[in-house]
Amino acid sequence: MTSIVSRRPKLPPPEGGLRPGARQAGAQRLVRAALGRHPIGVLFSAPYAFFIAVLFAYPLGLAVWISFHRYFFAAPGVSVPRPYVGLANYEAVFDDPAVRQAFLNIVIFLVINVPLTVMLSLLLATALNAVIPFRAFFRTSFFVPYVTASVATVGVWLFMFSSGGIISNVLGPLAPHPSWLINEQWAMPTIAIYVTWKGLGIFILLYLAALQSVPKELYEAAKVDGASWWHRFRSVTVPGVRQVTTLVTLLAVITGANLFTEPYLLTGGGGPNGKSTSPVLQIYETGIEQNHPDFASALGVILVVGVLLIVGIQQLVQRRQA
Amino acid sequence: MTQTVPAAPEATAAPAAASGDVPEIEPRVPRSWWRLIALVFGALLFLFPFYYMIVGSLQRTANTALSGVIPWPGNLTMHNYSQINAALSLGKALLNSAIFTGGVLLGTLVFGVLAGYALAQLRFRGRGLVFASMLLLLMVPFQLLIIPLYVLIVRDYGLGDSYLGMIAPFAINSTAVFIFRQFFLNLPKELFDAARIDGASELRVLTRVALPLVRPAVLTAMLLTFIGPWNEFLWPLLITKQQSLQPLTVALANYISTVSGVATNPYGAIMAGAVVLAVPVVVLLVVFQRHFVSVNIGSAVKG
Amino acid sequence: MKSRIAAAAAVPLTLGLLAACGGGGGVSANTAADAHGPISIWYSNNTQEVAWGEQMVASWNKLHPSEKVTGQQIPAASSSEEVIGAAITAGSEPCLIYNTAPAAVPTFQQQGGLVSLSSFPGGASYIEARTGAGASVYKSPDGNYYQMPWKSNPVMIFYNKKIFAKAGISTTNPPLSTYTEFLATSKKLVSSGAAKYAIYPDPSSDFFQAWYDFYPMYAAETGGTELVKNGKATFNSTAGDAVAAFWQQMYAEGLAGKGSYTNDPFADGTSAMAIVGPWAIASYQGKVDWGVVPVPTTAGSHGDQVPTFSDAKNIAMYASCKNRGTAWDFLKFSTSTAQDGKLLSMTGQMPMRQGIQQLYAPYFTANPSYKEFAAEAAHTIEVPNVPNSIQDWQVFRDAWSKSVIFAQQSPDAALAGAATKINQLVASGGTP
Repeated sequence: MTSIVSRRPKLPPPEGGLRPGARQAGAQRLVRAALGRHPIGVLFSAPYAFFIAVLFAYPLGLAVWISFHRYFFAAPGVSVPRPYVGLANYEAVFDDPAVRQAFLNIVIFLVINVPLTVMLSLLLATALNAVIPFRAFFRTSFFVPYVTASVATVGVWLFMFSSGGIISNVLGPLAPHPSWLINEQWAMPTIAIYVTWKGLGIFILLYLAALQSVPKELYEAAKVDGASWWHRFRSVTVPGVRQVTTLVTLLAVITGANLFTEPYLLTGGGGPNGKSTSPVLQIYETGIEQNHPDFASALGVILVVGVLLIVGIQQLVQRRQA
Repeated sequence: MTQTVPAAPEATAAPAAASGDVPEIEPRVPRSWWRLIALVFGALLFLFPFYYMIVGSLQRTANTALSGVIPWPGNLTMHNYSQINAALSLGKALLNSAIFTGGVLLGTLVFGVLAGYALAQLRFRGRGLVFASMLLLLMVPFQLLIIPLYVLIVRDYGLGDSYLGMIAPFAINSTAVFIFRQFFLNLPKELFDAARIDGASELRVLTRVALPLVRPAVLTAMLLTFIGPWNEFLWPLLITKQQSLQPLTVALANYISTVSGVATNPYGAIMAGAVVLAVPVVVLLVVFQRHFVSVNIGSAVKG
Repeated sequence: MKSRIAAAAAVPLTLGLLAACGGGGGVSANTAADAHGPISIWYSNNTQEVAWGEQMVASWNKLHPSEKVTGQQIPAASSSEEVIGAAITAGSEPCLIYNTAPAAVPTFQQQGGLVSLSSFPGGASYIEARTGAGASVYKSPDGNYYQMPWKSNPVMIFYNKKIFAKAGISTTNPPLSTYTEFLATSKKLVSSGAAKYAIYPDPSSDFFQAWYDFYPMYAAETGGTELVKNGKATFNSTAGDAVAAFWQQMYAEGLAGKGSYTNDPFADGTSAMAIVGPWAIASYQGKVDWGVVPVPTTAGSHGDQVPTFSDAKNIAMYASCKNRGTAWDFLKFSTSTAQDGKLLSMTGQMPMRQGIQQLYAPYFTANPSYKEFAAEAAHTIEVPNVPNSIQDWQVFRDAWSKSVIFAQQSPDAALAGAATKINQLVASGGTP
């Protein structure tokens, strides 16, 4: 660092093809001041921002507004009274036993689905992360359920788990009676297993990628120390992919909380005595089928707040661990 | 949390991969065998329902005993396919699904990449707001918005019974934007600054410099984006009143819940529809499977 | 970051506050009433009805080329009410829907989605001339007709003759008229191994399922009382409790299935009996040799004077209709004597017209088994035309499910609770 350099006047950072030292036009400086250092960023993100504003923010705002009013859908041009009712809809939601059952069902679902997903996907990814014959075949096979539309896989699961279906036939006397999807104790767990099976592919993929960036030296070192496979797994693999585990858990929780397609298709209308209904299914039934969007919106807002809370807690815990 | 640019190509027969390299206490069965057994078992579990789907779709009368797993020649027929095709036009429905999904993929690829890049590498007013909105969007269940969205799109914009109306709420997949942003974040700033000094416009920086580096991530994100509209049946159900516009998910779901009872082998007909829905995707998967696993993905999820 | 999330959340709220809009305008009733031109209609997706609909539309279009009618099947969904309600909201429903459930009419009316048929010249008298005195139950509380009674499917008991023979029960005169007889017969059917279940109504919790287990029998037991009368629930009574106790016993002893069944259990022989109307006959063709009797009552009364549920589907004209003149003319065309006759012969469902047994005697001579339905059609009851009717039925169904099917509560208590709730809902009037 010579004195000449230190005495050179500070130049604006070279950007957008400007030669250092050229005087910036006043207009350009204004634009920069208004829109940030890279005003083109506004242009790039404009379509997405527009999409969010029109197709997300506005409906969300409308839904929240609806939740505080007495509201039902009317034909175009028909004006109906829509009085403000404060928290009445929220009270109705909390009082409704079907809603309470729905939230309980989701807890059951998450308790089964999330640990199972994390464990199975990590184990299978670990097994895949090696040179083995037919590796491509295995990789593809785990992905097949994920890429298939839920309606198709639901069809075959309905077939397999029906009263006289093959699963019950194979298990014989061990099969629950009444059969899985119409059994109050087994309906939600069956759905949980189905969703786990269906979604495992993408999580295996995520873990597989993460595993390949765990330094090989750590495994070598552990082997040299005489650690068994299980020990190596616990002390090298699991910590090494912790961030993916967080992501997987997060995605699984969000998907589980917003469960709709599977209860709707597999058990239709809430299942045996409402034991496999989900909050979102309730939103659909009350909002669209029964034309009570005020109740549905209140329930939806509660659900979103709940998910945000869970995610927030998870972030806090993760930050504390890191 | 800074990450280094992943430079290593896909691990080939790396030292740690194959067991038995390092001399140690060998378990009675070599570890590679356990691995294989676990994988075979897993693959069976994953693929069996699909095999059963195909077998079930070909049965003349539904055979739910264990013996039904094997396709007995005496019980085979293509009748189920013709029956479900009579009830709903399989080809048209599949085409509608493809158009719906294709539209979403296009929207996400074009506008999502732009947005992801902007959020990652560009500084502009409102960046934080867009990012926070994206996060919020990821957590809100679609079904909450479905009612106001329906009124908005069908009544206010008059897009009922149209492909555009179907695609609109899904046009840009936010999870994909999130992933794009993660990837672009992990590219070194120096790369971009160097390109900018050379006089490249931002668009060129994006397309010539950044995009090629994250191509595997783009593919992964596309795969994630694909499954949304491909699976989706509630929104198209609401939006399309005409059968000619309904994607196969809607058509099949309705068939399962209403009309199937009339068929000779109702489960068989449902399986036939399921097979038609599943097969193209599996074929695509097999064809493109090479692109889906790569080291580079790891950097995205660590961020 | 937190402030960003707050900002992000504030934007939707702000936008939402601007969102009290009711959307674009509707159709001006005065100009539309006389307007003539092309219209569109929906009919159900039942195969026979589709065939009838198509020929009807074709005949009209030949006679009126300037007022073309486009017909299509109602978009399938878990319930037609859902589809129609959504279409009303969007303003995209057709002029006429030949699949309007009477239970949904109060909701559609409240939404402003229906056109009063009484507003057309001679509207009310046309309806009453065709259907007779029974048309009055289809009037709305304001005295106008917002639906036209079209066809009914009197719910009766179908029985599988082969299974009955296998169990050693008479197939010409099966003992099914009193509750005691019915229960005994059911037990015999199941214990003899002739069938897995005696009868298998759908146990799902949709609001309309009560129409196929509780309501027909309640109609019979009470001699024709609707669920709600003069604003009060009627089923919290001896009759209601008797019906509930009957079904509770059926479920408790495994004579009726508790789980939802994808196929038709009667058609595939799983169940020996079914409680359904003549529209189902098409799906039994070639699969079941069936006979039919009226639903049982405690005391047991033979013959087809036993009231039952009509399971009617009606026609309504909807608010987004621009060419209401054509729609009204087409409505009359499609319910003429000739078209009603075609409806009968093509679908086997009973047009809600007076004197069908005489008018279409040749048909009934050729199909004597349908005579029972025609006779029953004169003794049907309808769902009550009250506010919140869909929700009322849902409340009832939930109570029924919990107590009768899943035995988690005593039926008497559950029905009493449902009655209270329904009274509140009805009393709350137009606002849900």
